[in-house]
Amino acid sequence: MSERRQVVLMLTPYLFGLVALVAAPALVTFGLAFTEYDLIRPPELNGFDNFRELLDDEIFGIALKNSLVFAAIAVPLRLVGALGLALLLHRRITGVGAYRSSAALPTVIPDIAYGLVWLWLFNPLYGPINVLLRWQGDSSTTTAWGVQPPQWLTHPNDARAAIIIMSLFTIGEGFVILLVTRQGLPSELYELAALEDATAWGVFRRITLPLMAPILLLLLARDTIYSLQWTFVPALVVTEGGPPEFSTTYVPLFVYRNAFEFLRYGYAAAATLLMFALTALIVWLQWRIVRRWRKGFAI
Amino acid sequence: MRAGERKWGGWRQPAAIAVAVAFLLPLWFMVSGSLREPGLPPPRAPELIPSPISTASYHEAFDLVDLALYTVNSLIVVALTVPLAVLVASLAGFGMLLVAGRARVVLVVFSFAALMIPVTALLVPRFTMFRWLGLIDTWVPLIAPALLGLSPFYVLLFYWSFRRLPLELFEAARLEGMSPFGMWRRLGMPLVRPVTIAVALLAFIASWGNFLEPLVYLFDPDLYTLPLGLRSLETLDRTNYPMLLAGAVVATAPVVFAFMIAQRYFLHEDRGAGWLGR
Amino acid sequence: MSRIALEGVQKRFGETTALDGVDLEARDGELLVVVGPSGCGKSTLLRCVAGLEAVDEGAIRIGDRDVTQLRPAARNISMVFQSYALFPHLTVRENIAFGLVVREEPKQVVRERVAEASELVGVVDFLERRPYQLSGGERQRVALARALVRRPDAFLLDEPLSNLDAGTRVQMRTELRRLHREIGSTMVHVTHDQVEALTLGDRIAVLDAGRVRQVGTPDEVHGRPNDRFVAGFLGSPAMNFFGREAARRFYEIPKGTVLGVRPEHVRIGTHGLRTRVDLVEVAGSDAYVHLDRGLVARVPAHLRPDEGANVGAAFDRGAAHLFDEATGERREWQ
Repeated sequence: MSERRQVVLMLTPYLFGLVALVAAPALVTFGLAFTEYDLIRPPELNGFDNFRELLDDEIFGIALKNSLVFAAIAVPLRLVGALGLALLLHRRITGVGAYRSSAALPTVIPDIAYGLVWLWLFNPLYGPINVLLRWQGDSSTTTAWGVQPPQWLTHPNDARAAIIIMSLFTIGEGFVILLVTRQGLPSELYELAALEDATAWGVFRRITLPLMAPILLLLLARDTIYSLQWTFVPALVVTEGGPPEFSTTYVPLFVYRNAFEFLRYGYAAAATLLMFALTALIVWLQWRIVRRWRKGFAI
Repeated sequence: MRAGERKWGGWRQPAAIAVAVAFLLPLWFMVSGSLREPGLPPPRAPELIPSPISTASYHEAFDLVDLALYTVNSLIVVALTVPLAVLVASLAGFGMLLVAGRARVVLVVFSFAALMIPVTALLVPRFTMFRWLGLIDTWVPLIAPALLGLSPFYVLLFYWSFRRLPLELFEAARLEGMSPFGMWRRLGMPLVRPVTIAVALLAFIASWGNFLEPLVYLFDPDLYTLPLGLRSLETLDRTNYPMLLAGAVVATAPVVFAFMIAQRYFLHEDRGAGWLGR
Repeated sequence: MSRIALEGVQKRFGETTALDGVDLEARDGELLVVVGPSGCGKSTLLRCVAGLEAVDEGAIRIGDRDVTQLRPAARNISMVFQSYALFPHLTVRENIAFGLVVREEPKQVVRERVAEASELVGVVDFLERRPYQLSGGERQRVALARALVRRPDAFLLDEPLSNLDAGTRVQMRTELRRLHREIGSTMVHVTHDQVEALTLGDRIAVLDAGRVRQVGTPDEVHGRPNDRFVAGFLGSPAMNFFGREAARRFYEIPKGTVLGVRPEHVRIGTHGLRTRVDLVEVAGSDAYVHLDRGLVARVPAHLRPDEGANVGAAFDRGAAHLFDEATGERREWQ
């Protein structure tokens, strides 16, 4: 077999997968968004009706707001956390591997198992968190400070906070990527900084941050996209979209329900498309802002 | 000869310890919670280790749903998915290296773009497609993404690592008449072992823990994978925390085990950034 | 301006000893070159002076201050790294200004000093470019300017010319010498290239396996090497060595000694030991004549013999050196 043919053969499964499982479905989603489809009757084109309905749909509005707020809070926290971990644990010290593994461990736990743990941890009555908070309290329902501990899964805002807290532990992937990046930076720059009497903050601001900026930006985009999808399992498993009404219904859950529970595939596709467009917009904005900010890095 | 820094400085070690403890807490509570006796009232004080310790919850979990079957199912699916994914991803990554110029750029850009598309956007059409093919309620939709290498990310990872190898190596092999497949098998793969291990681990984690796709595609309980089994546990007895956590432990143990073995290759202190390409 | 002194410096890395009791002084205003083969400890020596490595025993002095315990920034020295260590995301101007900006010097001062330094090294035309747009030699100048801008007590240079191509290297050598003349600071320059050492240094320190073998002016270390290692390391092509039996063909030497003679002192002609010419290498205006029996002679190119010819080889007794066979130490003729 000729060389050329072999190379093509190497790429074929992947290309096939890309087209069949990513490109084609993406296009279909785009098309489905303009139809009403319940899998039984053939899809009926209905123009922009789905989108108009979405804009009026109260639940979608709530879901969208929830998703955006979640991303706005969780993404920066996660990124800062991953960066902090990477900078704390990048030196090649004996035994540092154990610390690194510990930090990455929550990320490998299967989503559903992870959700179940927090279901337990956040239980207002039995869960270890509230047990700890109530420990030194006066009665069996108040904390050491005399107020009620957060009711977590039974109150809307507490539930949203719970989902955010859950997302803060799964920063393993970002951590490893930033770790490797930091290790790849030339050590001489840091030695030079030592000679020039730069403070730790100065070193971070002038050397570490600018040099890691490209990867940070990439991770920011990826985490934004990821955060807007990740909420699915926790929302389904831990809070079931509640507590009422819909306080932890995020867009992925909204899409899932409309598609697989209400059998409105077209409507779900429209929501997906809207979300995707919004995500793209956010990522683009992030890129623009960081680009401008980077110019100001120069001394 | 330059030695690496081998000592913690000042506040770093306490911080690292605090961090490690914090991140280990979920796992700790998973295990300790699963060992509680079912049906007990809430503890007065926080307890790190339950007393009395009881494995009753594990029996309950395996009794309520056929957890053993689900575990086996998951193992089969993973055993098929992971090797396939690693194979496809490494071949594709290598192929991208050999393909020159424009085609390569297109492939890389395409892969990046595919990475950015959220899975939820593809869920509905994929479902429609598999339904049309009559493959709903089988494992095929779960394994099919392995054709993608499971994720363009793994393909890019391989590509990037192959790219860091010295070009002369492959040129010399070519001169000696080695075929592309030969180069992949004898030169490329042996030299990127840490990456292969990393991808295998990531693929294992993704495939083993996959919840969304089994949820959508599987209806016959005999075909359920473990995550779906846990979901069943939850819908059947939502407040029996020890039992739920027991299920969680069963689902988590293999992944943690695999992780502990594989992490030596890229989280150990002796590994600098070099493992990605050398 | 200050002298730099190492006193009894000991540095170990785990099992290996990198510096074994080093006593060395770079006098005020001189350009001291530390030269030695790979792994001899010269980079470690420099890094200890800079404070990037801590010494296990001994002391480092700069001027009359004991800086052994001081962190790098407090020692008031500058360093030029082998790979220049320029910040890729900053312009040349910003790179040069780095040390001053970090110390929060007033803008006016920064501007003046940067202008001064960039003129001294000749990078005024590049100030707004970025490192990736510059050639090796240009980057090196920027690294030098950055070191100069702070006007430190002393300069440390860690093989700054090693990454340059041959032509640029020669050019930069001259530049360095000129720079040193102009600013007159103490400089310690580390290199593995003995030609560079001989042409550049006011004095040379030859290092091997963590020990200083000899310190002196180029004439001293080249003309009167203290031991066999220094004799064999400096000079190109390397010195010829003969054991007692082989040396007998020329001169009688005491028991337990080794004879050394530099190729440039070996005369080819009609007199002397009969030998055959194996190989002749021409290098510009010199020719290296490899004779059988392992002798190498250096003669002007236009006087070179043909390969295969039979010639006579001789040298003056006075031009030859004696070294102890066992310790390698220099011995005098009786």
